[in-house]
Amino acid sequence: MAARVLLLIILLTSPAMLLCAIPQQASTAIQQDSAASAVSGWSKQAGEQAPAAAKTDDKVQKDAKSLQKIHVRLGTVSFGLGYSYFSGPYYYQYPMFGFYPYGLTHPALFCDPLWCAPASLLGSVYSGSLAYAADKGEVRLTADPKTAEVYIDGAYAGTADHLKTMWLDSGAYDLSVSAMGRKEFHQRIYVLSRKSLKILARLEPEKAPDATGEAEVKP
Amino acid sequence: MNRKIPLGLVLLAVAPLVASGPRGTVPKPAANRYPSHAEKDSVSVGAALLTSDEVRKTFVSEVNRCCVVVEVALYPSKDKPQPVSLDDFAVRVMGSETAVKPSSAKVVAASIQKSAESQRDVTVSPSVGVGHESGTYVDPVTGARTSRHGTYTEVGVAVGIGEPGSYPGSSERDRDTMQTELSEKGLPEGTTSAPVAGYLYFPLTKKKNTTLQLECVLNGNKVVLTLP
Repeated sequence: MAARVLLLIILLTSPAMLLCAIPQQASTAIQQDSAASAVSGWSKQAGEQAPAAAKTDDKVQKDAKSLQKIHVRLGTVSFGLGYSYFSGPYYYQYPMFGFYPYGLTHPALFCDPLWCAPASLLGSVYSGSLAYAADKGEVRLTADPKTAEVYIDGAYAGTADHLKTMWLDSGAYDLSVSAMGRKEFHQRIYVLSRKSLKILARLEPEKAPDATGEAEVKP
Repeated sequence: MNRKIPLGLVLLAVAPLVASGPRGTVPKPAANRYPSHAEKDSVSVGAALLTSDEVRKTFVSEVNRCCVVVEVALYPSKDKPQPVSLDDFAVRVMGSETAVKPSSAKVVAASIQKSAESQRDVTVSPSVGVGHESGTYVDPVTGARTSRHGTYTEVGVAVGIGEPGSYPGSSERDRDTMQTELSEKGLPEGTTSAPVAGYLYFPLTKKKNTTLQLECVLNGNKVVLTLP
């Protein structure tokens, strides 16, 4: 019972945990004290030598500090809901986590929301393969209208509604988005590996020459 | 014939800017549209210091890691082509004696890549699960068929620690891309008769409550602009 209450508290506090985690997407530098003290100790010994060497030590110390930076970012957040029904001859009381029907249903048919159906998905998330491709950058394109045609370096890539997320090799590209009756959108984009780039292409309607002429006429 | 000669001269003057690749930025209509501006010998210059947020929005490369970015625009007179060189610019912290020259796109890109190479990317993936079970079983003691139900919850956090060099912008190819971006957005060098604008990258860190001054040499005359 106590374990269940504890789990419930953890569940209730998890949104707060997520809120705390989100700001960490921004780069945060964490310095590891142990490594820093090791470097400072080494530089203390070197400080007894020539002043020129001391300067070099400072530089090395700075380099060492720069080597210790860690960037924390929020990965995929998973929520699971599950339901299972059991029917069997035996019942096993599990002291920590309530009861589990060991018999006909378990473990073959028992479905845990996090580790049964979505287990294959979560596996790839935890390994990082769903979050980022190692040598590619992500381009998130939002276009208005959604049926606009997208061209990359002059080559037709598809319509915007099918290209909401593109993974491109690191490099510079000319992105064009065009639609009938709209002004063409053009942007030079720079894609870095493992970096996400958001692009909002809002194509303004072209003014019809006749309509402009009519608007200028005053009664 | 007389008309062709000036046209040819203008084309020759503009050619180095076109051929060199970098395009810079679109200059504002006049130098006085920039927060800092001055005029010397019929050449106007405007400058603006970019904040960290502006740099983040303007560049994909993380220029904030190494540099202070200043947008500079030059407005030469039409009849006098103006040479543009990075060596003509420097930034000085007001009150200090040391001035810093702008770095080239190649140097800045290499600096950012080196910095990114040493980063470790840590990914935190939280997960929450709620489930409900119900069913019937035969009680082994009484032999009666009993129905039970219950709710369970799960909370988990997965932490992935990347290898050094897994941070964005750490590969050789990324360095080329960053160099391309910085070069294309940088102030074009060469000789120009038309207004030009672009970014300059100064390898220094701006501290709070310090004011920077941009020094530029226009036709041998030194101009100092205070960057707000």
